[in-house]
Amino acid sequence: MSGKLTRIVVGALVVVIALGFTHAWLNLGFDPLRAVGLREAAPEEAKFKVGFLPVTCHLTCPVSDWIRKNMNGKGLFEPVRFSGWPELKEAHISGQTPATFMLAPMAMALRQQGIKSKIVFLGHRDGSALMVRKDSGIHDFKDLRGRRVAVPNRFSNQFLLIFKALKDRGMTMDDINLVEMPPPDMPAALYAKAVDAIISGEPFMGQTELDGYGRVLYQARDLWPNFISCVMVVNDSFAREHPEKVQDLVTGIAKSGLWLEGGMDHRMKAAVAVATQYYNQNPRLLRFVLSKPPDRVTYGNLRLSQTEFERIMQLALEAGILKRPIAFQEYADTRFSENTTGVGPYPWRGI
Amino acid sequence: MAGDLKGEAMKSRLESLLLPLAVAVCFVLGWHFAVRWSGSDIFPTPKQVLSGTAELARKGVLFKYIVASLFRVSCGYMLAVLVGIPAGLLMGWFGRARAAFNPALQVLRPISPIAWIPVAILWFGVSDLAPIFLIFLASLFPIVTASMAAVQNIQLNYIRAARNFGIGGLELFKKVVFPASLPQILTGLRLALGVAWLVVVAAEMIAVNSGLGYLIIDARNAGKRYDLVVAGMAMIGLIGLGLDWLVRRMETLDEVRWGISGR
Repeated sequence: MSGKLTRIVVGALVVVIALGFTHAWLNLGFDPLRAVGLREAAPEEAKFKVGFLPVTCHLTCPVSDWIRKNMNGKGLFEPVRFSGWPELKEAHISGQTPATFMLAPMAMALRQQGIKSKIVFLGHRDGSALMVRKDSGIHDFKDLRGRRVAVPNRFSNQFLLIFKALKDRGMTMDDINLVEMPPPDMPAALYAKAVDAIISGEPFMGQTELDGYGRVLYQARDLWPNFISCVMVVNDSFAREHPEKVQDLVTGIAKSGLWLEGGMDHRMKAAVAVATQYYNQNPRLLRFVLSKPPDRVTYGNLRLSQTEFERIMQLALEAGILKRPIAFQEYADTRFSENTTGVGPYPWRGI
Repeated sequence: MAGDLKGEAMKSRLESLLLPLAVAVCFVLGWHFAVRWSGSDIFPTPKQVLSGTAELARKGVLFKYIVASLFRVSCGYMLAVLVGIPAGLLMGWFGRARAAFNPALQVLRPISPIAWIPVAILWFGVSDLAPIFLIFLASLFPIVTASMAAVQNIQLNYIRAARNFGIGGLELFKKVVFPASLPQILTGLRLALGVAWLVVVAAEMIAVNSGLGYLIIDARNAGKRYDLVVAGMAMIGLIGLGLDWLVRRMETLDEVRWGISGR
């Protein structure tokens, strides 16, 4: 190779190495001073990863981490934010995130497909809305006949909610045109009239209201009281090897849920902290969906109830997203949830 | 006469600068008025995109994200170069190697890197390795294919002449085969760099928390921040232009102008 060409190759390698160091320093928390021994290294405990999406259904994950860090100076786990359901699910089944928040029917379906994980706790209640355009002539569920409705995923409880609402009104899935769409894309699709109605977890539904073109046709609880969309799922092996960590995680979620129910002041503080530190969203959006109305999404009662899951299972079977029934004990591990009985909110007043 | 030539060169240089600039101005104006006339308050105007970019720069994340994306792309691309050029040269030179590996290569080549995302997460988890792997895969195939074709297309005269001079074995590869293949390999490298940069958005869909692709995906999750989505797109486009310019500069080197004449 000629001298000039060698210089180019060596130069390219130097650029890659320099980029690697800069990237590690700027984005991965690498400290060059610590690396060369000029700064003392703080001992850091290895934390397990918990997967979540920037939606209110998963809010207790960052809130629990935020409160713990402020109360004890350190968190129990490393919250890992994903951008979509498929990546969140794949990271969990590959063991990268031993615990994750997930759609309830998806957790059941994964168990049925042989994935060794179980539901240990709920993530929230309510917190979904069926939205239409303000200027649309849709004022009742029956007006959706022949219209295009977007749901987040076929393994979502929002899909089952639509299925249930249709069934309650003597309609079938053939009466509407259902499409699957990632929730972040739903507001723009509604605005552009690409779909007639959208349903997913918040804050994406509230955003259409805030921006002035969306109208709530139904809150989830109007169609399905105490609606559950997402649950917390833990790998069987992690629960077997570290039951104390799972209990700590579940109790923390329960405590942060109750803390969020401790008054609007708590909700507003959490909205700002989570929006800026975890979700990278406009705090105004989270403040809106956590307050208008105050029970739009609730976090007070997150314990597992067999009756509720059997209802979901029944609907999933009828809708055809599950092929055969599975026993509650097969996909849910209630011991951690049971131990949260009598637990109170975090004794913290907020920043 | 010399003055005329100088004037011509000046005119041509001015044209090559002014023509694309005029197209860019027309595009931005067309975009601005299209948004204004449609009355859309969702799709951003060029001004909103500019202020979104300024906001990212003020927060210091723009530079961080550019570095992250450039690192992942350069790392994946360099790995592809290191693996792809020798593999392509060997497959081009040895008929049996080509017969053995080419069908597999042609099967893997049309698979979009997006389809590899689940595999990347299962194999490499949620670290930088997964996006680097996707970028490596995307850029590997154009490099292997170009290197293989380059060796196959070498004029036999070169090989015969070299052999007449008693050059053979590794020496032949080093002094004739590799330099004669370089122009075509470089075309492959240029193509592969474009592809590598193209898949950065898909590659950063995996749970990384930095990068221009991540910026676009994150902005979609952040509510009505389409200004940031378009800002990310514009940055990817502009950096892509810069990278292409760098590789085109390499094409002007004497070492890679073997057997080709410029127009």
